[in-house]
Amino acid sequence: MPAMTISAWLRRAARLGVVAGVALIYLSLVGLVGAFEERDVVTDVLKLGTLMLAAVAVIAGYRAALPPKTAAAPPGVMRLAAGVLAGTVAGAFVGALLLLAATPIDLQTVFVRLNAALIAFLSFDAESPVVGAALQIGLNAVLGGVGAVLVLLPDRFRRPLVFATLAVALVSMAEPYVRPRLDQLDMDPIADFLYSGHGLTVAASVVVFVLVTAVAVAWAPARSQVDRRLAVLPAERRRSVRFTSFILIGLLVLALPLITGQFISQVLVLVGLYLLLALGLNIVVGYAGLLDLGYVAFFAVGAYLMAILTSADGPLGAPMVAIAGEQGAFFVALPIVMVGAALTGLMIGAPVLRLRGDYLAIVTLGFGEIARILFLSDALEPWLGGVQGIIGIPSPLPQRVDFALGPIEISWSGPQVIFYPIVLFCLLAAVVAYRLAGSRVGRAWNAMREDEEVAEITGVNTVNYKLLAFAMGAGLGCLSGALFAIQLGSVFPGSFNVLVSITVLAIIILGGMGSIPGVILGALVLIGLPELLREFAEYRLLVYGGVLVAMMLLRPEGLIPNRGRQRELHEQDDEDEQYAHEAGEDVAKPVVA
Amino acid sequence: MSDEQTSSVEEMPVTRSEAPPPPPTAAPSDGPILEVHGLTKRFGGLVANRGIDFDIPRGSIVSIIGPNGAGKTTLFNQLTGVYAPSEGTVTFEGTSLVGLAPHQVAELGIARTYQNIRLFQNMSVIANVLVGRHVRMKAQWFQAILNLRSVREEEERSRERARELLKLVGLRRRYEEELAKNLPYGDQRRLELARALANEPKLLLLDEPTAGMNPGETRQMTDLIAQLRRELSLTILLIEHDMKVVMGVSERITVLDYGEKIAEGLPEQIRANPRVIEAYLGKQAATS
Repeated sequence: MPAMTISAWLRRAARLGVVAGVALIYLSLVGLVGAFEERDVVTDVLKLGTLMLAAVAVIAGYRAALPPKTAAAPPGVMRLAAGVLAGTVAGAFVGALLLLAATPIDLQTVFVRLNAALIAFLSFDAESPVVGAALQIGLNAVLGGVGAVLVLLPDRFRRPLVFATLAVALVSMAEPYVRPRLDQLDMDPIADFLYSGHGLTVAASVVVFVLVTAVAVAWAPARSQVDRRLAVLPAERRRSVRFTSFILIGLLVLALPLITGQFISQVLVLVGLYLLLALGLNIVVGYAGLLDLGYVAFFAVGAYLMAILTSADGPLGAPMVAIAGEQGAFFVALPIVMVGAALTGLMIGAPVLRLRGDYLAIVTLGFGEIARILFLSDALEPWLGGVQGIIGIPSPLPQRVDFALGPIEISWSGPQVIFYPIVLFCLLAAVVAYRLAGSRVGRAWNAMREDEEVAEITGVNTVNYKLLAFAMGAGLGCLSGALFAIQLGSVFPGSFNVLVSITVLAIIILGGMGSIPGVILGALVLIGLPELLREFAEYRLLVYGGVLVAMMLLRPEGLIPNRGRQRELHEQDDEDEQYAHEAGEDVAKPVVA
Repeated sequence: MSDEQTSSVEEMPVTRSEAPPPPPTAAPSDGPILEVHGLTKRFGGLVANRGIDFDIPRGSIVSIIGPNGAGKTTLFNQLTGVYAPSEGTVTFEGTSLVGLAPHQVAELGIARTYQNIRLFQNMSVIANVLVGRHVRMKAQWFQAILNLRSVREEEERSRERARELLKLVGLRRRYEEELAKNLPYGDQRRLELARALANEPKLLLLDEPTAGMNPGETRQMTDLIAQLRRELSLTILLIEHDMKVVMGVSERITVLDYGEKIAEGLPEQIRANPRVIEAYLGKQAATS
């Protein structure tokens, strides 16, 4: 491969610097920096806002130093230079902003967040804007260089450093939830060591950083060794090892609510509800390729059907409670809810059979809104309660579970209890999705997604399989709605707006379409993280949008792409045969079915 | 694909996985497998096919040739149920195909390949073949969710059969889990053929199977077509531009021009037919 010319290489770096500079200014002016400014990552040393801005420059430097795809990589010095250049250009943008803010031009009437506090923050409290600008340029240049160094470092150092930084930030952000929990568990000394009241203490940051780095450095060789050991085990033993690890992970998940306490359990419940939705929508969008933007309709149908069937406040006067009592009503109602939702799926699917892509997206978006307006409408108020919704939905779960094992007393309450059925349903949904994906049905859906016309000519009844996808997606989505209803004890039309559809879609795109582990990670990141970062609340949609755009540009297949699945399924296939074939030996084998 | 693999393919005894159809001579009807009468297709004012008649004898290889725009692909689309004919009948083994949906036609045992390769790009090679086998499999969604023994067994059998087909068309074993879009061009054509064969078709429609291939690959494909007919007791209908392929492999040739059949017969007859030469080369060439 020919090497890039020096000027082309530097131009590329400068371009990245411009992008980063615009991003820095954008983050500052939109108010994100200001919002994060109050929060310390490391007490009195590092603010969250600083970390965010620094990350932009580091990423710019990192990307600038990455070897180009189509040409040979330039020497290390040039790559370092590219990183520094990208950082410098980015810093120049912020510097220019500072200088501009110092002129008599009144920028704040347009950019309301460009206040004195922000300027002081960006110029490091320097009196003169020139000094501030110079500091910005110099610092960003260094950060760009750091990004470039990260590229040049071997994998086994880079990963631990990045992980450790992220870990420090995460542990710090978790303070408002972890600290009270530690106090509850009588672990005050640990709490006091970790947190100062507004961020990690310096000592704790160092400990966390070193600890995570050490674990991550040790992890890679340990892992490859484990893999090697596993590989030589017979298939029987390998299965039992895998089974054991599943059990261990399962136990950990089951213990989570107890360890983390009320608030985080509540967050996990929310993650679980969205995960259930995402697993359902994944069938429609990921497997069958039908872009459905009205998925919230099934969430709503599940919740309302459950409410109508079990609430004394509902129009039917709780028929299921009459049959099975308050505790059993949920279980009797659930199959009816699922069938009802699947029928709704067919009703929504049937008229849009001939639509594809954008058109399908627009029509389903409309259906989602129609559903919300129906639930809100006065005409249906006698049945659905209009704005008031339906209250008094009985929960099959006890408010509180106490458990005494000798001297140890454990108790679960509220979200800690409902966490378990949600995990169970998520697991069921994942198994259903997994088995369908690997079957004749899943392949037919995939074929339809790839080329509908050819799928039909090849023998797939595309009408039936589209309807099946809508019905299956609806059936899983309504589970989430039903659980949502018993969790809150009431349903209101306001809970079912278009944002739910968009969020669920974002989870799938972030995680990786058609990939079940991807969807799980997506739900944790998009639902879990914003709950931890309350400052986000105002900017949540902005961040979602940014994340989606970034994913489309940088990694359209998602964080955990759906690949290698078939390989996994058939690892027992004797590799010997494959090698024999390469050597031309299996030619003699008769081919008999 | 190497030549060595081609030769290995020819040595392989091939059997069909399910009840093999009786040999052509013992077939219930020794008549044509497909009969087309007065087939006409109009798109608005444009007549793409006008009153076409032809038969395909069971077990034969028949070619359809004609200049670009002669209506060959429209004809294929009517045979597979993509277009409903404006007039005329299409009868496959005594069953009328008119009004059937494409997937129903596929179920009867008609499979096709495409002029511009149309694989399921983001699916693995073996999954592509398994979709081709869709009509011969039975697993329903609830059975798949329960992962019944019958489903697992059917899946295993189908995979086995798919591997045999991949081997038959000469695709390497290590490509099995590769995404279809990552295969080289010639292998994509082979995969498309394997997908069509997975249907266990009685009639195979090939739309320019050697388009874009070099002479070596073309020869291999021609050999493969002849071999498939022999070993899988297939009937093959071929659209082809390459006269060498057409003359070498087909027993009968039908010539279309401006949507009408202008000639039909043995390869030598077609080669000498002045109307055919006129259609391809112009009036002057035909008279001179």
